[in-house]
Amino acid sequence: MGIKLYREPRLEKPIMFVGWPGIGNIGIIAMNTLRGILKAEELGEIESWDFFYPRKVSVRDGLLEDLDFPSNKFYYQRLEQKDLIFFIGEEQPTEGGRMYARGEKAYQMANLVLDVGLKLGCQRVYTSGACVSLIHHQMKPRVCAVTSSEELIKEVKKYQNTILMSETGERRGGEGTITGLNGLLLAVAKKRGVESICLMGEIPDWLSGASFPYPKAARSVLEVFAMILGVGIDLTFLNKMEGQIEEIIESICAKFPPEMKEEYDRRKFIPQTKPGTITIQAQIYIDERFKKGGDEGGEKPI
Amino acid sequence: MNGLKKEAMRVEKSPFEIYKTAELHNPSLIVGWQTRDIGQLGYRVIDFLNEKLGGQEIAEIKPLGFFPFGGVRFKDDLVQVPESKFWACERNNLLIFRSDEPEFEDYKFLNSILDFAEDHYQAKELYTLSGTISLIAHTHPRRILTVFNQPELKEMLQGYGLVEMSWEGPPAISSYLLWVARRRGIPGVSLWPEIPFYLATREDPLAIKLTLSFLNRRFNTGLDLGGFDLEIRGQNEKIAQLRRGNAEINKYISLLESGFRLDEEEQLKLAEEIHELLGKGD
Repeated sequence: MGIKLYREPRLEKPIMFVGWPGIGNIGIIAMNTLRGILKAEELGEIESWDFFYPRKVSVRDGLLEDLDFPSNKFYYQRLEQKDLIFFIGEEQPTEGGRMYARGEKAYQMANLVLDVGLKLGCQRVYTSGACVSLIHHQMKPRVCAVTSSEELIKEVKKYQNTILMSETGERRGGEGTITGLNGLLLAVAKKRGVESICLMGEIPDWLSGASFPYPKAARSVLEVFAMILGVGIDLTFLNKMEGQIEEIIESICAKFPPEMKEEYDRRKFIPQTKPGTITIQAQIYIDERFKKGGDEGGEKPI
Repeated sequence: MNGLKKEAMRVEKSPFEIYKTAELHNPSLIVGWQTRDIGQLGYRVIDFLNEKLGGQEIAEIKPLGFFPFGGVRFKDDLVQVPESKFWACERNNLLIFRSDEPEFEDYKFLNSILDFAEDHYQAKELYTLSGTISLIAHTHPRRILTVFNQPELKEMLQGYGLVEMSWEGPPAISSYLLWVARRRGIPGVSLWPEIPFYLATREDPLAIKLTLSFLNRRFNTGLDLGGFDLEIRGQNEKIAQLRRGNAEINKYISLLESGFRLDEEEQLKLAEEIHELLGKGD
């Protein structure tokens, strides 16, 4: 099970930003965008074959050219005040056809990510993801936080547009689970003495199973990252994607029965704490619209 | 005592159950799969080789860690146990492996196959066997499409009538094994005999015979493949009878014979009819 580092830069207590795909791809969009804007350079990778089945084979004129695996790459960048490491995983290692990582493979992957972080002197790690909430899609998503210590709670309270998970009012006793590696990494980091914070952008509950991304929430998370790093980030390029997704969502909403639409629109004015009928019914609309097909794998001649 | 304990632990951790040591010297490794085995090609070819060349069961890869054990699968009322076995055909210097596809730890599993072949017998090259679905009629001649992992082996097998494949898409486990072999410096080739789509769920004796003919020539095994001619004739006759009594099926096969394509519904209808026909006893 291997880590391949192309270089070992000397970094000063770097902060690590880690992302895998998840609900609405909020975390991965945020991490990838931040990495791109800050022009982080490739640092290394976790070899994929222990975790993933290859996605694609390329055969030309009878010769096997290559197999394509989901990538798991590290990047780094030195800013004036902070050094940064990024880890972006294109897929979560799953067992038994599940959507999100769990089990031994997930634990191994999380530890490998931390191995590199610790080797380079990292003392804090940020992950990101989605917070499924009873919000209206026209509202600006808030950022919900979970941290590994009381000190960090005090810190995240100062972040803009950010609330603690216990303040969302939707979870009994402030308890819940952050599924997949964006959550598991927090636990592994805490166990290994690394501070960890997960910042999750709100996504309307009925959109949590959608096959399209939710960039609006990624924007909220990115705004918080920009504040933490003290850098200006131009997010105008997200406008186009947001506009396209907004159109899709509006077209689905337009087909809601009037009473359902009325109930849903009330979310704009009255914060709700319990899911109503809207959740299940709207999910049916979205499932019907975005039914996914799948093909069996296997070689065929071109 | 400690040394013994350590040795015992090491043995316990081995992924292999070894029954006996065979007299093989730099053998060729032939690998077939019995999961998603199109036209029963992998199963039948390996069964035939083992039977006719006196293949002896020498080892297996233990299933734990590669296959689920939350219950048991059954098919046609029979309990199915995952199998991953090695046979040795000493006279012809062939190491043969047939297995279900692993459900977990694919990379480790594929390396285990090559570990056994290399560490115990210094296997020199790899041949994988899998059928590929083709939109041809059963009366059409079959070809063996091939993928090599090194140009040298491709060069060496010129003249065997193999057809070079070009393909981009999801890899089957044979391609994955071929890639792992390349990483370890083992030359290999995947053989993909064409199988008409409507024979995919049954058997295709013509493709099986073609594959065995290649192996026969390559390894000078001197196998008598005459028995397959009977099977081929029998299958062709059954389908010809169906065509005589069923104008729709006759039309679909005639279209394929003329090089036309069937739409999805026609393909399904033809596949269902042939599946049912070939499932009946004589």
